[in-house]
Amino acid sequence: MSSEISVEFWVATIPFVPLLTFPIILFLGQYFNGKDWWKNTLKEGGVISLMSMGIVLILTSMVVAQFIGEMHHGQGLDIIDWITFDVLRSDGMTNGVNLGFGIFVDHISLMLLFVASFLCFLINWFSIGYMNTDKINDNRNHRFYAEFLIFCSGMLGMVLADNFLWLFIFWEIMGLCSYLLIGFYYEKPSAAAAAKKAFLTTRVGDVFLMIGLIIMWNIYGSLEFDIIFGWNYFTNPVDMTLLKTALILMFIGAVGKSAQFPLHVWLPDAMEGPTPVSALIHAATMVNAGLYLVARMFPIFTGTADGGLVGDLADVAIIIAIIGGITAFMAAGIAFVQNDIKKVLAYSTMSQLAYIFTGLGAALWFASKGKPELALFALGASLFHLFNHAMAKGMLFMASGSVIHEMHHAHHHISHGEHEGFDAQDMTNMGGLASKLPITSTAMAAGSMSIIGIPLIGGFWSKEGIIAKIWKAAIYDGGYLLFIPAILLLISAGMTGFYMSRMWFMTFAGKPKTKVAEYVHEETPWIKFPLVILTFMTLGGIVFASLHFVSWVSEGHAFHYDLIYEMKHAFLAMDKDGVIDSTFLILTWATIGLSSLIGPIVAMSLYGGRLKEGENAIPTVSWLVKLSGIVRNRWQFDNSVLANSGLAEALRRRLYFDDFYDWICIKLVVPIGIGAALFDKKAIDGVIKGIESGSQSASTWIRKLTTGSARDYIMMVALGSLMFIGLIWGMV
Amino acid sequence: MAVDVLSVKGGLLLLPEMVLLTGILALFFITNLGDAKIRIPLTRLRIPALLGGNRFKWNSDPRIPGVVTIFTLIFAIGMLLQSLGDDCADIMQGFCSETTILTTTGNNPVHLMKLDSFSRLFELMFFLTLLLVSAASINRLQADSNPSNDDLEQLLDNRRQVDFYLLILISGLGMTIVAMSMNLFVLFVGLELASLPIYVMVAFHKETKAGSEAGVKYFITGAISSAVGLYGMSLLYLWSGSLQLTVLEAAWSAMETPEALPLFGISLLLVGFGFKISAVPFHFVAPDAYAGASSPVAALLATASKTLGFIGLMRILMIITLPETGDTAVWMFAFGILSVVTMTWGNLAALGSENPKRMLAYSSVAHAGYMMAALVAVAAWRSGSFAETNNNGIMAAELIVGAVIFHLFVLISFKIGAFMVISHLETESDVKDMSSLHGLAKREPIIATSMFVFMLALAGVPPLAGFMSKFLMVTGIVQVASADVLVNTNVDLVPTILGMHWTFFLAIAIFINSAISLYYYLRIGVLMFFEESSTRLPLPKVSTLRFVIFVCAIGTIFFGISSDWLVDSVTNAASALFTDS
Repeated sequence: MSSEISVEFWVATIPFVPLLTFPIILFLGQYFNGKDWWKNTLKEGGVISLMSMGIVLILTSMVVAQFIGEMHHGQGLDIIDWITFDVLRSDGMTNGVNLGFGIFVDHISLMLLFVASFLCFLINWFSIGYMNTDKINDNRNHRFYAEFLIFCSGMLGMVLADNFLWLFIFWEIMGLCSYLLIGFYYEKPSAAAAAKKAFLTTRVGDVFLMIGLIIMWNIYGSLEFDIIFGWNYFTNPVDMTLLKTALILMFIGAVGKSAQFPLHVWLPDAMEGPTPVSALIHAATMVNAGLYLVARMFPIFTGTADGGLVGDLADVAIIIAIIGGITAFMAAGIAFVQNDIKKVLAYSTMSQLAYIFTGLGAALWFASKGKPELALFALGASLFHLFNHAMAKGMLFMASGSVIHEMHHAHHHISHGEHEGFDAQDMTNMGGLASKLPITSTAMAAGSMSIIGIPLIGGFWSKEGIIAKIWKAAIYDGGYLLFIPAILLLISAGMTGFYMSRMWFMTFAGKPKTKVAEYVHEETPWIKFPLVILTFMTLGGIVFASLHFVSWVSEGHAFHYDLIYEMKHAFLAMDKDGVIDSTFLILTWATIGLSSLIGPIVAMSLYGGRLKEGENAIPTVSWLVKLSGIVRNRWQFDNSVLANSGLAEALRRRLYFDDFYDWICIKLVVPIGIGAALFDKKAIDGVIKGIESGSQSASTWIRKLTTGSARDYIMMVALGSLMFIGLIWGMV
Repeated sequence: MAVDVLSVKGGLLLLPEMVLLTGILALFFITNLGDAKIRIPLTRLRIPALLGGNRFKWNSDPRIPGVVTIFTLIFAIGMLLQSLGDDCADIMQGFCSETTILTTTGNNPVHLMKLDSFSRLFELMFFLTLLLVSAASINRLQADSNPSNDDLEQLLDNRRQVDFYLLILISGLGMTIVAMSMNLFVLFVGLELASLPIYVMVAFHKETKAGSEAGVKYFITGAISSAVGLYGMSLLYLWSGSLQLTVLEAAWSAMETPEALPLFGISLLLVGFGFKISAVPFHFVAPDAYAGASSPVAALLATASKTLGFIGLMRILMIITLPETGDTAVWMFAFGILSVVTMTWGNLAALGSENPKRMLAYSSVAHAGYMMAALVAVAAWRSGSFAETNNNGIMAAELIVGAVIFHLFVLISFKIGAFMVISHLETESDVKDMSSLHGLAKREPIIATSMFVFMLALAGVPPLAGFMSKFLMVTGIVQVASADVLVNTNVDLVPTILGMHWTFFLAIAIFINSAISLYYYLRIGVLMFFEESSTRLPLPKVSTLRFVIFVCAIGTIFFGISSDWLVDSVTNAASALFTDS
């Protein structure tokens, strides 16, 4: 057995590891329910699932190492063939239609595989600290870990699937787990409602996705990547209108999953779930599924350029980019007024995902216009941003979880278990926590900087790439409609700077706003470890950038260390030949200025401030706190007019989207539902009941003919023979 | 290749049958060995005669006949695999065999039997069925022959066991002859050799009134059907002067206008086989027979006996009367109607049955209907313009016949399994109505789960074996029915359906009937899992019966998930059926 095959085998086992572990956890949890078993941690499954995720991480690392060593291009490998369809034939095909599950590994899936398994592992680790120390979770943590593991196998499977059908199946598995986990505290009405909302909203997208896939099947006669990407078998001309429709419908599915405008309403509410869930599902991995789906469409778009398809798919790319631009802007705006720490992060997630969508839109646009180099760069930048964002946002959520956890404990400590009327997530209750939570505050600062795009830190490299590419598409290549997302992204960059800084300063700088905030202190080592790891991961963006991460994820080039090249490229807008493009130079510095100067400074002047006397923050963040104090003293201004204006109110009401959807539901969907229920009860049930009683009486009547007397049977044989002969005779 | 049946080579090819014969003799001798002595007249010398007297210790175990039968069957399967010939190097790729024709001696040899993938696969199926049934009966016979009597010696009446297993082996011999026959005479002899022991086995449970009554009724009706079939054969012989299938086929295709004699003969022959597969209206005695017989025997009736009928049908319909491309087979319409009536009748009657064995009997009537519908589609394929080969190089007809064989094969797993579960219940008390199944899940979770798996497989729920077979049949029917439409038109739903051959509605009928049947199959699940039973005690320990149930359950799941080998095997068998030689 060659080493190559063995790697493929290991890849195939990855999704099955968590899938096989989850029943064990469920079983042990039920079996030892209410009993002490060695240690509660073991009973509740955290350690078992951590081991399982550890195996996944090791396998993934092996595969990544192998990939870097050999630079595979896309490879498909069928491991299970279940049914070979013959009935549904497609004229363009020579082979039978296959519904097997296979493994497909290329640079995109490998990157996502690594992100997913790495973050799953860390967040699992974090959950052991977060979930197991809370009394409210007693005797149900096994459910959490079991659902967590199915989710992981869904994500890993989706990334590895070699056709859209299995991708869709795993996609739905994730949707189910998301529902279950958001509603983990099902006894809370708000959590139950949020779970339902998330499930139903994403379901809207999924229905479109399914229709899109059906159209794809209609076009290609298969959902295999090989066939759709034109690598095999398929040579017939494709109806471009149909293909466009299919792609747009599939994109709507992605919009639902990744919480983009107008199907974004579920994500903020989804924060009702336990914080590790928010970190994992609603920031780091599941919401990336939509991005993955769009990134998977890339070869279809290149098909238009290299002659594989006759026609132009640029319209689809423009739609994707515009949706991204609108969402980025809108979400950033709403994040301005949120006081719940997790909701700020939720809107930030939405906004950052929108960046990636816009970047992908630019990539697809270039691809369909026949500019593969630019397209690959934009794709690489988007995927790099996906990587950076996943790492940073996963960490931010865990850090916010840490804050909430400690706030909660502090409050518990003060009020002796009275939880009524206190919101541990509300930032207006916090303030000045920098001295109490040194590691958390450092991690949060690093994560925020990465999201903002402070130069040299993680997200900067990728965000700059995305903005540059969408502008490039808009200016030089005549995609005038692309100016909309281009401008919106630029503004959003500044807005990101504001709302992320606002969150940090409201939480960590200034004086404690409540008594509770004074009693906070860091406890659990389980919580700290992932934060530290991810801080390095986030700050290490510069290393990844210089390793040519962008080229690596887009094409699979061999990567090499070239910091100077990346620096020149990023800061001086220099192209390959060393020519500086002035438009992009201006653009670059405008972005940097907006995001890392104006935004944060405004936030500092409004929400910054020194700590209470005698408190000292850890050196990594104390400079930040002091700086904010200086800025606040110097430039403080009154924003109450703006804060009380109608716009702010509209933002607080989330731009009335939820109200609008509610109104539609009540006015339109509910009456239809009532009508359908009536119809179901009267007409359909009536018919079914009729059939039931009819067949029962028919059964009784028929069985009466079986008299039990052989004489009658023989007569029946005789009659039957006569009838049979008559029928045959009659046919001749 | 033609081989003289009385030559050494012919004997070698028939090794499995020889093994069965040897088994029958062994069964007879081994169990009768004893310490009887003969005194030589006028002397005092006593010579051991071995036969008769008190049995020795080693052969007095009542399980001996069952064990001998099991080993005979296993040995026969081994011989079968060994004598397949050179055509298939790798049996793992699918079961297939060299084609050999066995003839009579003489200058003008008559074709008697044909050994090919088709007949060999059926031999395998029969052996497997009998193996499962005899394994399941080892513990069972002792347990139920007279539950009120605790005397172990009496319970384990050895002689009775011998009778039972002798009947099984003799019937097995008849079945293999039917599988191989290429001559209506041989077919009939085999059929009767297989059927007569089964009639006896139905009445084997002689202590109960139901058993003897069922046996007699089954025998009377069966005899009449056989007579009708035999009459049909004699008409065919009158007409063509031969009973050889190939000769009949040639004569049939040479027939310009329909003649009364052969049509009448074929119709009567079909009636005879219709009884064997229990098609409506020849099925009436089946529920009585199933309910009266002990469960393993009922399982035999539902699988092997039905398979016999289908072999006969396939031989007659597919070899003799299938016309050249473009014509309509004479039996197509009649058979189509009969299939729909059969499946609907079976399902409706099963719906209200309160006796689980009667329910399974009616369910097996319905399954016969499905398979008949599939056979009708083969005729439709010949009459339509779609005679080209499809993507995988399998002719549609082969696909459909293959699907029928597939169904007959996997029935061995779940039909027998279901009867075995009932058999297991019978070891406790008589199974008269559904209440025996109440709360089984609490008493015997694994047995109940297996039963549920069997029910789901009978209903055709994926991914179980029953789904695959039904799926293949419906695929075949739809493919044939839609071929004319799909070849040359754009696909619009309503005109497409209206333009389809009428056999398409057979597929629809199968769908509707499957929906109806779900009711009574799932009801068993409800009874087992949700009803309370009067007792919580587990069932008596009967190890081999349980083992058989597990084997059946595993087979049911296995052939559903991984059916490649079986699909290849049945495709080989089906193409062998269509190959002339």
